[in-house]
Amino acid sequence: MTILQKTELALDKRFDPVRCRHHMNGEVVVLHCHHYASLYTQLADDVDMLDGKKLLADVAEDTFVDVLKNYYEDNGITKLEDRIAIGEQYYAAVGLGQMVVAMAGEESGEVELLHSHIDEGWIKKWGKRDKPVNFLTQGYISALFSAVFDKPARSYAVKEIASIISGAEKSKFNVIVL
Amino acid sequence: MAIDRKKIIDNMSKVQVMGNEEGLISGFNVFVTQLPGRFWNSFGERLTRQVNPEMLPAAEYLLFNAARSCGYHTGYGIITSEEWKAIVAPMIEKVPEDILHGAYAVFTAWGWAKSEIVELIPGKKMVVRAYDYYESDVVEYGSSSKMNAHMIRGVSAAFMALAYGGDYQAAGGPEEKFECIQVKGIECGDEYGEFVVTPA
Repeated sequence: MTILQKTELALDKRFDPVRCRHHMNGEVVVLHCHHYASLYTQLADDVDMLDGKKLLADVAEDTFVDVLKNYYEDNGITKLEDRIAIGEQYYAAVGLGQMVVAMAGEESGEVELLHSHIDEGWIKKWGKRDKPVNFLTQGYISALFSAVFDKPARSYAVKEIASIISGAEKSKFNVIVL
Repeated sequence: MAIDRKKIIDNMSKVQVMGNEEGLISGFNVFVTQLPGRFWNSFGERLTRQVNPEMLPAAEYLLFNAARSCGYHTGYGIITSEEWKAIVAPMIEKVPEDILHGAYAVFTAWGWAKSEIVELIPGKKMVVRAYDYYESDVVEYGSSSKMNAHMIRGVSAAFMALAYGGDYQAAGGPEEKFECIQVKGIECGDEYGEFVVTPA
């Protein structure tokens, strides 16, 4: 029997004492709490000046497609299963939750969250609600699929079909190529 | 003042955070993420650049308010944490002023802003300077016509509320007793950012 060795995410975390900045793999990173994430998410959900949900998802997609593509390139990650494993591990390492890519193809995918900072943080702050709020993760999943299949951002649509925030055991997302 | 900023920054900047087996980071009574600064910057910048000019103050208030709530709850978590008790609490002589100075050292150590209090009139006015902060990274060339450090504004108002706004309330509320305006910004071409906190 062949035992597959799972690729492990490598994180180079440094503090710049002159500028007082934290870096992770060369990227400036900052700590923020679930109150901050919940209020940004609520802002995106409520704002009537523009489509805030799409704005938040797009910002997440644009940020993380760079992060993931840069990581794959810098570390020579070319295999599909390794790219997916790195995407899942990065999501967990930065505190966004526990993500499992159940299936992935160039045309479509299914992704589950066993734990979610956005959902569980919202519940901790305000309680459950009927409608999904994890716009950030919609963007992250779009970014992950674009990075995995070497496509540009906005190549995939992601729809949340079950949500921890609404009482589901897992959040579930469907992915479809555009 | 007995607060040793350098010692606090040296120690607190070494605190490592990493998601647990559930991909969550718990600490200071909150869930935490460690995301790229440009994620937060991009959302605020795209929001404030896309809304109609007459709606800009409302959009900026929402960003400020998110940070004020974050600063109030996370700030309380910080000043009641084991790390605080071990490193900062022994330096505190004057309450709550030394707590405030210590809080800005932690704020600096965690990479939010290299900042300090330059004027403090207890309960009435606080002036904060930030010499480096990620929110100014939206400008890579030239200078912006609008100030952008809504996170520092919000957290500064929150810290003032923790010091002078009465007992901490888990449901929030006291943080709204203070407001903060930004009067200088690195993103606007100034040498540093400057923030003035007063009662609301």
